[in-house]
Amino acid sequence: MTKSMKFSARFGKFMFYFGNIIIGIIFVSPLIWMISASLKPEAEIFANMDSLTTFLPVQASLDNYAEVFSRLNLPQVFKNTLLYIGLILILDLLVNSMCGYALAKFEFKGKGAILNLVIALMVLPMEAIMLPLYIEMSQLGWVNTLAALVIPFVAKCFSIYMFRQFFCDVPDDLIEAAAIDGCSPIGTFFKIVVPISKTVYATVFILDFVAHWNDFMWPFLVMTGEDKRTIQLAVQSFFGTQPVHYSAIMAALVVSAIPMIIMFVFMQKYYVEGIASSGIKG
Amino acid sequence: MAKTKKLTGRKRDERVAAYVFVAPAVILLIAFLVVPMIYTVYFSGFKYQIMRPDAIEFIGLENYQKLFSDKNFWMALKNTVYFTVIVVPCQCALALGLALLVSKKFRGVAIFRTMYFSPQLTSMVVISVLWSVLYNANPNTGLINSLLVSLGFDPISFLNDADTAMNSIIFMSAWQGAGYQMMIFLAGLQGIPRDQYEAASVDGATKFKQFLYITLPGLKGTIKYVIMITMIQAMKLFTQPYIMTQGGPKNSTKTLVYYIYTQGFQKGNFGYACSIAAVFFVIVVCMSMAMKKITAATD
Amino acid sequence: MKKAVSMAMAVTVALSTAATTVPVMADDPVELTIWSPTDTEAIEAWWEEKLAEWNEANPDIQVSREAIDRSDSYAYDNKIATAVTSSDLPDIFYVDGPQVSYYAANGITVPLDDYFSEDDLADFVDSAVAQNTYDGSLYAIGATESSVAFYYNKDYLTECGVDVEDLDSRTIDNPITWSEFAEIAEKCTTDDYVGAHIIMDHGEGLPYALEPMYLSAGKDYISEDGTTADGYVNSEEAVETTSYLADMIAKGYANVEPITDEFLNGACATMLGGSWEIATLEANADFEWGITYYPVNDDTSEAVSPCGDWSAAISKDCENVDAAGQFLQWLMNTENVATYAAAIAKPATRTSAYEEEAMADYQEGSRALIKEQLENTAVPRPRTPSYATFSSAYAEAMSNIFSDAASNGEVDNDYIQSELDTVSDTFTEDYETYYAE
Repeated sequence: MTKSMKFSARFGKFMFYFGNIIIGIIFVSPLIWMISASLKPEAEIFANMDSLTTFLPVQASLDNYAEVFSRLNLPQVFKNTLLYIGLILILDLLVNSMCGYALAKFEFKGKGAILNLVIALMVLPMEAIMLPLYIEMSQLGWVNTLAALVIPFVAKCFSIYMFRQFFCDVPDDLIEAAAIDGCSPIGTFFKIVVPISKTVYATVFILDFVAHWNDFMWPFLVMTGEDKRTIQLAVQSFFGTQPVHYSAIMAALVVSAIPMIIMFVFMQKYYVEGIASSGIKG
Repeated sequence: MAKTKKLTGRKRDERVAAYVFVAPAVILLIAFLVVPMIYTVYFSGFKYQIMRPDAIEFIGLENYQKLFSDKNFWMALKNTVYFTVIVVPCQCALALGLALLVSKKFRGVAIFRTMYFSPQLTSMVVISVLWSVLYNANPNTGLINSLLVSLGFDPISFLNDADTAMNSIIFMSAWQGAGYQMMIFLAGLQGIPRDQYEAASVDGATKFKQFLYITLPGLKGTIKYVIMITMIQAMKLFTQPYIMTQGGPKNSTKTLVYYIYTQGFQKGNFGYACSIAAVFFVIVVCMSMAMKKITAATD
Repeated sequence: MKKAVSMAMAVTVALSTAATTVPVMADDPVELTIWSPTDTEAIEAWWEEKLAEWNEANPDIQVSREAIDRSDSYAYDNKIATAVTSSDLPDIFYVDGPQVSYYAANGITVPLDDYFSEDDLADFVDSAVAQNTYDGSLYAIGATESSVAFYYNKDYLTECGVDVEDLDSRTIDNPITWSEFAEIAEKCTTDDYVGAHIIMDHGEGLPYALEPMYLSAGKDYISEDGTTADGYVNSEEAVETTSYLADMIAKGYANVEPITDEFLNGACATMLGGSWEIATLEANADFEWGITYYPVNDDTSEAVSPCGDWSAAISKDCENVDAAGQFLQWLMNTENVATYAAAIAKPATRTSAYEEEAMADYQEGSRALIKEQLENTAVPRPRTPSYATFSSAYAEAMSNIFSDAASNGEVDNDYIQSELDTVSDTFTEDYETYYAE
């Protein structure tokens, strides 16, 4: 390799990082603003909005966090939230991937109809079915129980469709090979297909985790009582007081985002290049 | 003979497995999506004040008659379609670009992925509050306008002008939402066999040609899926106008779901809101079925 | 799975019948549940202390409270609305002032006349009683009130040559007029400052804070009996009032998109702001500020001020209205009203509460002015079951009018008329669909 080639490779690398950092800053700026605001006294949050100093806490203090910790029973809130989201996600990954796999790889009567149903139901906005769904919960006696938070949200059309889309790309040879080895269709799925599809599972996990973590309206309608509070209810309780203190709200929002960020960084390890391909090739 | 028998046995096993696999999801979907939806359609035939469920009155198709002559409904439909048509290509292209930037393994890749995904990790309330201030019409308070003015341009009242409000929301939404689709593209990119690129690079194909002839075809299924879900999510636009503009100014950011919500809950016209929801549902199902037909035809 | 659901339903039915068939013992205590929005630590602590006190003194009526984590008041109303569909309402719930008529007209709440006699109510400020009365009956009772006044940045006004001492010396019989308000705003508007801040929340804040302007000009939003908007909100007087406000925006005296804390951050000279701002300013402002009475119309000089706050109501699903009524009598006694109002930093509804130790800071200064407005000039928002519809239609119209004025730099009275006509039509349609006889 000549010197100039080395230089241009280095320069390319530099530009690649430089571009990534610039774009990254544009994307991460609201998060930075939120963190910076959470460290400021109330009067300073909306001051200097015309300059970039709004993104920097000049006199940082943890007072706002102290307020959040003293007003909220955070361990309880996190426990409630992780419990219900954990239950949803376990069932979600299982039920929806099975359904997606059947729609991708099995031939059976009603397949087309189910696929159309899944696509059609993706369209339903929660705002339009909220009230009837509540009535149903009330008739089942589920209001104010974990069941109302979990069971209606296990089956998800978006997830089913996504699993189907990815399982379609799993080569048929692989499945036939397993069948010839005497593996049952169900066994093939769990022993062969699931292990090579970690990326899809990780993706669905991340997207659904984030969606539920931010869910406010439904837990608000079906759950009453401080001991049943989920994270978004706890955060929203800061908006209910007049005058609204953005300093405390920002601190509460930062606290509420931490588990999500940890989850996201952790799930990264399932995005290793070529997992699917190496598995399929074998 | 023995082989055929084995295969039919396999087919039967498969059919049984198929029903076992789809049953839980389908039952749950019917119980908690189809049933409420039927209720919604049923209530659309009633005069129903939300606070008075015991005084509902059957009025046949009256809500639908009212709907078709309601200029706010048509306005909301127009806004929703406009938003969708513009935001879907922008957001998908942005998401694909981001995914390509961080698909390969390099030092710090996890940090960059987290950065691009971070608008999804930040509460929509914060994002809307922050962008409302960034977009503020007054150059003394709005960061973007203060930059524009210092560069010698006139300030723009982004959210307070019927001509620019929806475009401002589109820009913000594409930026905020792209991380979601980026993750799906990333998952799709992992599925493209590495050796294809290696072979191409030995043949001396440029990066751009590799993208055109390996990446794009390899992502075909993913792209179809991403376009479809982005479209459906775009049709359901609600939070941004609800927090940032309250549907204004002059109805320019009123969307169908926003209209359903304000009619049904804020104004209490629940029966009427149900009729809007039913029509909305029919429209979007038709759109996505058409999409499915079109993409199936390209196979 | 289907089986499981029907099993679950069967079990539920069995359980609920079991619960109702158990004979009610005579000495079983009555259990009451209250819903009210989650509030500051001081208020949460107040509830805990007071309920413990009541529950100990009244073993036969046990009360518990659920704090509702509303994100905005619409979310709270949604929760009530969904609970109504399935008769899941608590025994007592809190409701915002103008919603009282809406709930009462729809039969969600029950009258409280048996528990609060006219003598009892004489101690409450008139506006609070009026706001909570619908169709001749009392439907809710609250401990706190609110008001809006004119705040000004003394340091900055002096710099601009406004006579601050004159502002300080105004009395309730001699408040500033709209033209004085506009004059001050004009004087103080520069490249870096705006002259005035008007509540611009695109929601309930607009009809709440601006109503006195309309009343002072001679016409309310809606007729006294709550049935008609046509000829009121779209009357000539209303158009003129709206036009005056739009003019302030068009000329740049007030921001059409004011940022949060605009006044506190010293970015604007004056503010039409709520009574709750006093505490914030006291704690955070780094400039001298003053407060005076809500401005009046130049021609009529009629002094009016906003009011209204959250109050307690008994729901239709309450099985022991008597017990709930007794509890409310106690909850709204002078001492409780005073301590609650002090904890939540809002003015109290009971005149006698101001004599309590807890409310000592209402004797003079800015808080005394708020109290004076409440006792003399406060007028509640229109009492009509269609208020929610009116409110959102009005807020939408005003937002449109203001952004039109801001982008054109001038006021178009025909446009104002057409927008206010739409408000009137929206109200009329709602009222006639659901409430007209």
